[in-house]
Amino acid sequence: MAIVRGTKLSNAIRTSLRYFVIFLVSLLVIFPLYWMVVTAVQAPEVTLRYPPVLYPIDPNLKGFHAIFFEKQMGRWLINSGFVAILTTLLTSTLAILGAYALSWFKWRGKMAFGLMLLFTQMLPEALIVIPIFKIYSNLHWTDSLATLSLIHAAFVIPVGVWILKPAFEGVPKEVNEAAQIDGCTPMGVLRKIIIPLCSPAILAVGVVAFFASWGEYLIAVTMISTESKYPASVGLASTMSQLDTPIQTLLSGAIVYGLPPVILYMFIQRFVISGLTAGAIKG
Amino acid sequence: MKNRSSSRFFHSKLPYLLTLPIILLVVMLVVYPISQAIWTSLTDKTLGAAVGEKINFVGLRNYNSLLHSSTFLASLRITTTYALLNVIFSVGAGLLTAILVNKKFKGRGGIRALMTAPWAFPDIASVIIFIWILNSAFGVIGILNQHLPFDTSGGWLTSSPYAFVSIIVMSMWKTFPFYSIVFLAALQGVPEDLTEAATVDGAGPFQRFKTVTLPSIRPTFVLLALLAFIFAFRQFSMIYLTTGGGPERDTETLVLAVYNTAFKYYDLALSSAIGVVGLFVTFLIAVAFLALQSRAEKSNS
Repeated sequence: MAIVRGTKLSNAIRTSLRYFVIFLVSLLVIFPLYWMVVTAVQAPEVTLRYPPVLYPIDPNLKGFHAIFFEKQMGRWLINSGFVAILTTLLTSTLAILGAYALSWFKWRGKMAFGLMLLFTQMLPEALIVIPIFKIYSNLHWTDSLATLSLIHAAFVIPVGVWILKPAFEGVPKEVNEAAQIDGCTPMGVLRKIIIPLCSPAILAVGVVAFFASWGEYLIAVTMISTESKYPASVGLASTMSQLDTPIQTLLSGAIVYGLPPVILYMFIQRFVISGLTAGAIKG
Repeated sequence: MKNRSSSRFFHSKLPYLLTLPIILLVVMLVVYPISQAIWTSLTDKTLGAAVGEKINFVGLRNYNSLLHSSTFLASLRITTTYALLNVIFSVGAGLLTAILVNKKFKGRGGIRALMTAPWAFPDIASVIIFIWILNSAFGVIGILNQHLPFDTSGGWLTSSPYAFVSIIVMSMWKTFPFYSIVFLAALQGVPEDLTEAATVDGAGPFQRFKTVTLPSIRPTFVLLALLAFIFAFRQFSMIYLTTGGGPERDTETLVLAVYNTAFKYYDLALSSAIGVVGLFVTFLIAVAFLALQSRAEKSNS
């Protein structure tokens, strides 16, 4: 056995087998996305054929036209963008402060604060979205994009803190001591040293917050009731529930709404991983 | 990694000021709503209850009826099954693919970038794609259907057990690439000289995996299993928008039960009671996560 394993032939077989499996897995991962693009540009009568046509024939962009001009996709994307930007600003500001407190200070209640963040991070929104709605509709705060981003921020701040904490801890102690000798206050250290040194991680938090809010559906659909205020997730879901919507229109919507986060995430993979795994356990 | 956090500034009120905004936000949007949910779960409130309508305190009656409700017990079972299958299939597939791409080969960077795609893709957009793929009249799944040894004519999203299989496959498509990337990072931390030494000692690939690779990626493995469990437990929109919890209530996980009980069956009090059970589960998971974390920190130092 051991001799056969070492031969060139079996090596070649193993390598090609490996490539074959990799190819197969990639195909499974990419097919739904490929199928989305093909169907979105496919002529309606072709999509109804059996067996299904696996490549575009006479591609056209009517679906994109329809989602923007027959539906209000443009408006919805702007709404999503607005909520996401507000969420991003809130999250990065508060997460910076929280991570600073967790990484550079000793204080009573630190453990409790960490546990509170962890609990919030793991909490299924579906469990408390109804009481949230009840409370804030009594205050007439519902159906507002600003309120929505406040709720989004509350749920994504923990992730932001976990991304920033290890980055902040990585700032050399000596830098801090030197700054203190130069008369820097703790807030000065944060502003002049830590934030500039950790700007990649902060940027990652911004992107994570942006797309957490961008992709969120349940809170949005519960809080927002006016169609012109719909974020794209809610707009698309409502378009989906109108059964006469052509599939091209729907899938074009999925493309313009779904691809931007995919592209951006590819650039920041690394940070996101350490943040989501709470930055604590490294293999 | 050495833990050099804390203790750079002593005896300061500053950390309390720094964390105050987060605490306010969480109290407003998490703690207070939870207290409301707990209170409502002890009453007989319905969704339609008018402002000022008399609401009766009923003690633990809602919890008692949950204990005797076959749909609630079923939803606990569905949640557990869904979560465990997610852990097994998604984390398993993540590990397998990570091992596959761990060796250097042409186009590895591209494959890795590709793996990010489903995971970054928003839930609603994924739902739209899968509803179209699984459409019983025109879905591309039709190609597969006629070769299957079982009858799927009831529809992949509208008949049991296929609806459940579908949501598992969807979640797997969405999450295993992420687990794969995390595993890959861990695999690259496995010391190469150890692997080489094992090879010299005559260990085959499986033995090498068992004695060298597995022990060094175990913390990642446990962490990802827990994350997959949490993901499954939280998952709402992908299930809600594909099956709505149906057919009957066969895919109604706990979070869907909370929503459906309130908005489909108008029983706000009972919905809150289910929610409180869910909160308790969340708390247990958080504690498990913390225990895991401190154990990993100990073994690191």
